[in-house]
Amino acid sequence: MEAVVVCVDNSEWTRNGDYAPTRIRAQTDAVNLLAGAKLQTNPENTVGVLTMAGKSPKVLVTPTPSLGKILNAMHDVDVDGQANFDSSVQIAQLALKHRQNKNQRQRIVLFMGSPISETKDKLVKTAKKLKKNNVAVDIVSFGCEEENSEKLEGFQQAVNSGDNSHLVTVPQGGVLSDTLFGSPICQTDGGAGYGAGPGGEGGEAGGSYQFGVDPNLDPELALALRVSLEEEQARQTSGPSGEPVTAAAEALQVPPGETQAEAGSTATPAATPAVTPAAPAAAPSNDGPEPMDEDALLQQALAMSMQEEQPAPSGAGAELAATPAAAPAPASTPAAPGAPAHPPRPAGHGDEAMADAEGEDEALQMALQMSMQEDQPPSQGGGNGQHQGGS
Amino acid sequence: MDLCDQVDWSSVECLNQQPDHAISNALKQGYRDDDGLYLESDTDEQLLMHITFHQAVKLNSILIKSSGTGEQAPKRIKLFCNRQSLGFSEAADFAAVQEFELVPEQLDGKPVSLRFVKFQSVNTLSIFVESNQGDAETTIIQKIALQGSMGQTMNVSDIKKAGEEEETS
Repeated sequence: MEAVVVCVDNSEWTRNGDYAPTRIRAQTDAVNLLAGAKLQTNPENTVGVLTMAGKSPKVLVTPTPSLGKILNAMHDVDVDGQANFDSSVQIAQLALKHRQNKNQRQRIVLFMGSPISETKDKLVKTAKKLKKNNVAVDIVSFGCEEENSEKLEGFQQAVNSGDNSHLVTVPQGGVLSDTLFGSPICQTDGGAGYGAGPGGEGGEAGGSYQFGVDPNLDPELALALRVSLEEEQARQTSGPSGEPVTAAAEALQVPPGETQAEAGSTATPAATPAVTPAAPAAAPSNDGPEPMDEDALLQQALAMSMQEEQPAPSGAGAELAATPAAAPAPASTPAAPGAPAHPPRPAGHGDEAMADAEGEDEALQMALQMSMQEDQPPSQGGGNGQHQGGS
Repeated sequence: MDLCDQVDWSSVECLNQQPDHAISNALKQGYRDDDGLYLESDTDEQLLMHITFHQAVKLNSILIKSSGTGEQAPKRIKLFCNRQSLGFSEAADFAAVQEFELVPEQLDGKPVSLRFVKFQSVNTLSIFVESNQGDAETTIIQKIALQGSMGQTMNVSDIKKAGEEEETS
């Protein structure tokens, strides 16, 4: 948990356009990023903003958990005067000292894009004072990085306690926010910070993970995805021995080219397309009787009523049971045109043609018949259920 | 009684401690009786500890033991009550609730008795170690123990009874 005060360099030097678009705008971007990262790491983190130049250093926002306030404050920064490193840091420390939640660690993030006027000794003295008050300081040096490097390194070494403070240098032409993103400044508080998040390096690396999710980052999600995949695989492989339904589906899963070649070699070409409409009839039953496609339901119901009519007139009860299943189905499926006009005939043709076509492929035919027998009771239930649901 | 159990550890803060020799070494049960674990100051000899309690307590006495060589043992101590945002500069300037200088006998583990009336309702105790016996760079404290009593004694069985009474009434 941290309270952070970001010191922004708004001196005249930051009008320079060597960091696109200008040094001050580059800083604004970096602050947006940093504040977002800090606030996301822990919901109780707070971030404030202070400008170092102008008449005197000015606290624009005291540490707040609201990103909007920070962005708003960054929008109104005026470029003026010369940065005052030493007093800015001390004011930032005061702002941190009076934080509301004393459990928060104190941190200053300092952007330095202009030459430092203070002597190194003075900076080291200030650094010691900060260290004494348990304030960590991260420094982003850019623009005048060579001039400032000695002073800032001395400052950082003096303030560093338990590796809690960092100095990041962005060379000319670099992008401030990009450099900051991968730096330890954005990745404090237990390592897995914002930088490793989905938007950053994680996003680039996302493709290499099994499901596009870094298992280290979100172990629970990764586990859930893996378990789901394994269950699906187990379900697909366990089918053929026990369930003929799945066998039929597997027989249909033979690549279409192969099926066509087999059918074409022995049957008439007209029979070939008849296999194709049969496929959707059997394939959805793979998922169990309940969520069947309505077209498939209709076709099955019609086929069954035909079977009942032709060889077994004795099964009146079954016919009666099958007919309501066939009749209401068109009513609830406007997607099946023509079927209500001639309920038994087209289906009968289709059924015979289908049987002819499948005569070449015995296994397929067997499987289809079995699947139909299997599905007879459930399809009625399903049809009635749909009817009830539809009306 | 020992107030160690009443300390709210998440709010305990010690300024100018070395990260490797933190305040828990001197304040926590078990750690503080281990001679190898101690609290040591970092940049200079001063230390400022804020010890927050779960509830207001009354303080009788304080024990500050140092295992360091005579030079590094704390000397001048200032105590403040309920001043959570106290910094080093204020601690040095402000009048303390009680201030005293530790003598070698006390550093060996003899408790310092406090002005009991001044510590009747302490939520946060701030201990400011202003200087050490010699002019050593750092100060070492091996053990801190606070003796006192709880402000309002609270008994779990009493709470139950009160709840029952409320239900019946």
